[in-house]
Amino acid sequence: MSLRHPKNSIKILSANSHPDLSNMICERLGLPLSNVKALELANNEDAILVGESLRDEDVYIIQTGCGGFEKLNDYVMELLLMIHACRTASARKITAVIPNFPYARQDRKDKSRVPISAKLVANLLTTAGCDHVITLDLHASQIQGFFSIPVDNLYAEPNVLKYIQSHFDNKDDIILVSPDVGGAKRVASLADKLDTMFALIHKERAKANVVSKMVLVGDVTDKVCILVDDMADTCGTLCKASDLLLEKGAKEVMAIVTHGIFSGNAICKLNQSNLKRVVCTNSMPLNNLQELCPKLEVIDISGTLSEAIRRLHNGESVSYLFNTAVF
Amino acid sequence: MRDIVVFSGSSNRALTERICVNLGLVPGEVELKKFANGETSVRLCDSVREKDIFIVQSGSGKVNDNFMELLLTISACKMASAKRITVVCPLFFYSRQAESPSSKKGVPFLSGSTKHTLLDSVPSSPCSFSHRTSDQIPAPSLSSLNESAATSPHKTAKTTASDTNVISPSPLNPAVSSKSMKQQNVSISSSCNEKDSEHPRKHPYRSWISQSGTLIANSLTSAGADHIVTMDLHDPQFQGFFDIPVDNLYSKPLVQHYIVNYVSNYKDCVIVSPDAGGAKRATAIADSLGLQFALIHKERRQRVVEHPITAVSLGPYALAPISSSDNLIVHSPAQNSSTSNNSDSNGNSNNSAEKVVATTMLVGDVQGRVCVIVDDLVDTGTTVLRAARLLKEQGCVYVYAVITHGIFSGEALKKLKRSSSIDQVITSNTVDQTAHVEEYGKVNNEPLEVLDVSRIFAEAIRRINNGESVSLIYDQGW
Repeated sequence: MSLRHPKNSIKILSANSHPDLSNMICERLGLPLSNVKALELANNEDAILVGESLRDEDVYIIQTGCGGFEKLNDYVMELLLMIHACRTASARKITAVIPNFPYARQDRKDKSRVPISAKLVANLLTTAGCDHVITLDLHASQIQGFFSIPVDNLYAEPNVLKYIQSHFDNKDDIILVSPDVGGAKRVASLADKLDTMFALIHKERAKANVVSKMVLVGDVTDKVCILVDDMADTCGTLCKASDLLLEKGAKEVMAIVTHGIFSGNAICKLNQSNLKRVVCTNSMPLNNLQELCPKLEVIDISGTLSEAIRRLHNGESVSYLFNTAVF
Repeated sequence: MRDIVVFSGSSNRALTERICVNLGLVPGEVELKKFANGETSVRLCDSVREKDIFIVQSGSGKVNDNFMELLLTISACKMASAKRITVVCPLFFYSRQAESPSSKKGVPFLSGSTKHTLLDSVPSSPCSFSHRTSDQIPAPSLSSLNESAATSPHKTAKTTASDTNVISPSPLNPAVSSKSMKQQNVSISSSCNEKDSEHPRKHPYRSWISQSGTLIANSLTSAGADHIVTMDLHDPQFQGFFDIPVDNLYSKPLVQHYIVNYVSNYKDCVIVSPDAGGAKRATAIADSLGLQFALIHKERRQRVVEHPITAVSLGPYALAPISSSDNLIVHSPAQNSSTSNNSDSNGNSNNSAEKVVATTMLVGDVQGRVCVIVDDLVDTGTTVLRAARLLKEQGCVYVYAVITHGIFSGEALKKLKRSSSIDQVITSNTVDQTAHVEEYGKVNNEPLEVLDVSRIFAEAIRRINNGESVSLIYDQGW
């Protein structure tokens, strides 16, 4: 054994945002969760307690951008502090696994004198000492360019593909619909692979989180419409889109999203909406949402993430995962 | 005022208003809100192109929200072509770094300043098993140690116990929290039989809490801050974390002003520092007012044992015996109530006094004097309460507590209200005190007094903007 390069191993660290996902990943990798904890202090600051040696280890920190109104920024800080703690603990390499990248939607200067928040978060991650980022279905893949470190943007697409194939026998019955122009590419690629039709909804936004007017491009008559998007936040778009589709003669509408953020009264809206089913991945903690909303179905994404971690650690190609679902 | 814009974060708008009044300005308009998913959104409504920007944000309340908001505001200014961005943090973010690992409840104890002494005074490497050679496991096999520790604590007990050189910081080891505590005791007693100084550990790695100072400093710099203005930094070394200029202002002139004008017969009072870390701050005030000075020294080491151990058995880490209900675990409500009971029934019993202040000692004479405790911040209030209690026990007549940053998190204000040890609490508006003043109400007919720091900050902003020296206001105030 060379003295300079002792055998190093994967250390999976979980911050507080999504312990379930961390546990699933650990289980798949057959590794225990490392004893590094994020603690909340009396004065609302966070502290990281390092309970085992990380020296010269390959560290993966799992923290997703969630937590809603109260906790989102806390989780961002937690992640930064944890990266910094690992850096202090002389970890060989620190990879942040951020399935849902926080502030991903504030990725451009759409008004004057606003920050490009996604860029700031990217800078903060790099500043904290992050060496590599694994994320899932970035809102805009250009965000990868905000980083000066490698970013692996994984896709939930293979898993979504599997889901659709296993639930619909006749591909002529279904039509994929993109609820906005921005997602058209994502939907087109999925439609190509399924060899189905796709339609597109154009929406005009007056303000953030508020949709004013929608126009459907494409024919959905007597088809099962599958709305595909990268995230469902307040679900206003999805609900309005489903109304529009039914109005245009669709037989049934369901939605598949990667990140189920479901903030505000989204769940309530979904329950009242015409959507038959809403499918999302477990990139966000869903807690008891499935009980609150019987329409909700979950695709497990931990396989893709853990395989990415394994491949990254062993220096194998990650692009295999772009086309292959891992179960 | 040339090309100056002062923006306010959402943490302390009142202070910004006051600063702006002092400067004769209107605060810059900025739209701060959160999206439904919790992401902070910032939009500057005033032009900042080629302007000198000051952003006021305090590290209080929802600290992380405020910090992200500050970073986003800095970033927005930078992107909007601001000439220079100065961050005014009356209370700095994460300025007090965690020092001891978790308590029973998993909430770390946070207070005082002397993190470094604590860490340094204990040999840091938990696995220095190679001091003695022969019958030892080879040093690098940490993992095997780990294993053996995990599988049989007894085995480790033996190995470690046989090595007198091995130094165990285990009383501080949070791995040794509640659950494993019993086991610990058992093994301690067994090793004591062998007349050894060793505490066998279940886990050979000594947990530590990461220091966030550099991260905060680097985050601000990378967001685009060009200059930091803050007040009474808990660690003066914090300035060294930055690559940009940091102006650390002092509340000393304000405190002196208060003492001279509002403490009756102030020439006879004693300035007290509640811990060694604040000694310098307190002596500076005592010196310039020509007052006497006293220091409370608190020994922070905690023994996580149910029964006192004799000093001999602890070897190099011997301290006076401390009973288990000692002060480090402050967050458990049971402990809180017990200590406050002690304070309420003050002269009640030696027993209780010993419990609480066994590790605290007073250097200086306060018999029959009025004491002014000077500290930079109060968070949970334990330190200052403990100090006040000790002072009262030592015969002090009246206790003022002058605190620059009154964070008062958790039950702090309730504790202060319940306790009769502190007669008057004075703080400053580096942290928004409106809610605190209301909650505190009046104790002994004395409300929570708030000193106004806005003039110091306004003057600093004016001088920075004008390129004048700031050091002048260190001593004179404004």
